[in-house]
Amino acid sequence: MYGWHLKILRVNLTTRKVSTEDVDPKIARDYLGGRGWAIHYMYKEMDPAVDALSPENMLIFATGPLTATPAPTGNRYMVVTKSPLTGALAHSNSGGEFPTWMKRTGFDLFIFEGKASEPVYVLVNEDQVEVRSAAHLWGKDTHETTDILKAEVSDDARVACIGPAGENLALMAAIMNDKHRAAARSGVGAVMGSKNLKAVVAMGNKNPPLHDPEGMREISVGTSKNVGADVKKGSNMRIYGTSYVPQVTNTLGILPTRNFLQGTFEHVHNVDGDALKNQYLVRHTPCYRCPLSCGRLTEVPDGPYKGKGEGPEYETISSLGTGCGVSNLAALVKANYLCNEYGMDTITTGMTIAVAMEMYEKGYLTETQIGMPLKFGDHDAMIEMIKLMAYNKGFGRELAQGSYRLAEKYGHPELAVTTRKQEFPGYDPRGSQGMGLLYATSNKGASHMEGDVAYEEVFGVPVKENPLSTEGKPELVKHFQDSFALIDSSGLCVFVAIRYVFDKNRLIWPQTLAAMMNLSTGAGYTPEEVMKAADRVYTLERMFLIKAGSGPEWDVLPYRMLNEPLPDGPAKGMVAELDKMLPEFYEKRGWDEKGYPTKEKLMELGLPL
Amino acid sequence: MMIHVKMLANYRAVLPPGAKHGMVELDLPEGSTVYDAISRFDIPLNDESVIVLNGLTVDLNTPLKEGDTVTAFSAIAGG
Repeated sequence: MYGWHLKILRVNLTTRKVSTEDVDPKIARDYLGGRGWAIHYMYKEMDPAVDALSPENMLIFATGPLTATPAPTGNRYMVVTKSPLTGALAHSNSGGEFPTWMKRTGFDLFIFEGKASEPVYVLVNEDQVEVRSAAHLWGKDTHETTDILKAEVSDDARVACIGPAGENLALMAAIMNDKHRAAARSGVGAVMGSKNLKAVVAMGNKNPPLHDPEGMREISVGTSKNVGADVKKGSNMRIYGTSYVPQVTNTLGILPTRNFLQGTFEHVHNVDGDALKNQYLVRHTPCYRCPLSCGRLTEVPDGPYKGKGEGPEYETISSLGTGCGVSNLAALVKANYLCNEYGMDTITTGMTIAVAMEMYEKGYLTETQIGMPLKFGDHDAMIEMIKLMAYNKGFGRELAQGSYRLAEKYGHPELAVTTRKQEFPGYDPRGSQGMGLLYATSNKGASHMEGDVAYEEVFGVPVKENPLSTEGKPELVKHFQDSFALIDSSGLCVFVAIRYVFDKNRLIWPQTLAAMMNLSTGAGYTPEEVMKAADRVYTLERMFLIKAGSGPEWDVLPYRMLNEPLPDGPAKGMVAELDKMLPEFYEKRGWDEKGYPTKEKLMELGLPL
Repeated sequence: MMIHVKMLANYRAVLPPGAKHGMVELDLPEGSTVYDAISRFDIPLNDESVIVLNGLTVDLNTPLKEGDTVTAFSAIAGG
């Protein structure tokens, strides 16, 4: 077969039984790969209502047909599971090198089920698959774990692992690969920890054969040339990575500031891309074979925040930085390093601390309860909280449950800015209306990566839309959700796909993505088929959510977004107008007025009724 | 009238050195538009740039008022 190996590796951690399975080519085709295959298996095999931290949850590592191919940025994987934070699906995407190494084992998917009786790691070296003791690794952070495993297995291996946060079942625990790259959101690291699975080590040489290697090489070279031309003109992604974005969102008045109390931050210049570049940037660094190279290798050379690693990225700046009112860049960079080492999602970590800060300032939480004062802007207290969250100690035990549960427990649910109990990313929907609709209807809870219309509302890619208007947003959000489901299933990175595969005429997305899928797999997709497959994936995920108890009743935005107008900036006076968009969104999706996929829609997509 | 022009990220390179946080002031005649302000700078005026007035998406022919801020940044990116 081409592109896909059409092979799944299953590891039952309870029995330690390892088995392999062929994938039906029709399923492969209809569900694309990666995220699409994962929901097919989850819907078929597990009860969506199970506790996400129970052995019955499936933890899936999923590559796509473009992973480990010369397709531009064909280097990604998804971690798909039921999320303990949201009770919905987790779709956490990561790049670096591990995903390519994973695909080279000869398997498209790893499915982990059950729970090991004590800490283990799984080694996959092509057909040699072993479940090994991780007793010597348990308690170690992600960097030490990675170093030890490479030393004991091979320098040619790559590692995905959890740190203390995942071991301690913190609901924002991430799975880190290659030390600095994160499958971060929705507590996927906690699911891994609940299975006593410390790490997965992958190596092999089984590059997937391609249907049209020459065509693939051509498209790869062409894209690299286009990227190179942009870099020559001046590409912010190369110069700053995503760290330039605070300047943009601050200009538009949608930069989360002090738990979304404001949309602009008076000290943004202390924590933006220019500040990072001038003070702590070592150089840009790419994921495997990526021509854009938007990663940041950084170092704080001395002082109390001394350290080195990668990042921070925008979502970290807007959560642990401006979201917490923090303007000390060295402390923010250090906080980012700690989250990578402990294996924690910076968005949920930062915004949970931000809610605690607001509660402290309003007197809803006391110094005695927290263990220290916790005001907005107190970067040292923030760093202390991160440590406590990772190790489940002191007030960290409360924070490790995320902001929704924290705010509810202490009697102020109106302070948590979440949908499906997951914290918002760095775009305030009161000034970016399409993002509000996206957060409310995303299958993974609030996330920008499920269909990032900010590309148009904020960045002008491919065209600039008015972020303050609700007009046309339902259709736009649906199109982006399907397109991102397609990208996530294919194994590509959004950052190159969004700019170099997309065109001013958005309709070209399916054409180019279908073309790349065909060069790899030879499946003969038409653009309509790939978009229909994406719709199929999105809708089946929705069915899973309904059965999991996370259905249309959760298509809501939090109190602050609906009731507290932005006090500053270009969107001053605005709230999120979800009610103007949601009914039309359901209609565009082919769902009924309550938000349930109709029988006709399910039949159209070939989904179970 | 005095207006501000602000450049973000890599567009700051087109400003004179010493422009603090990417901002400069311009004294323009009454009736000047966003286009009149931004066309003085060496940036693309097509889809490669995002140009906003006081943070709002507007037509380039929009007339300016005293104290307005025109901001521009590259659309060759994302985040």
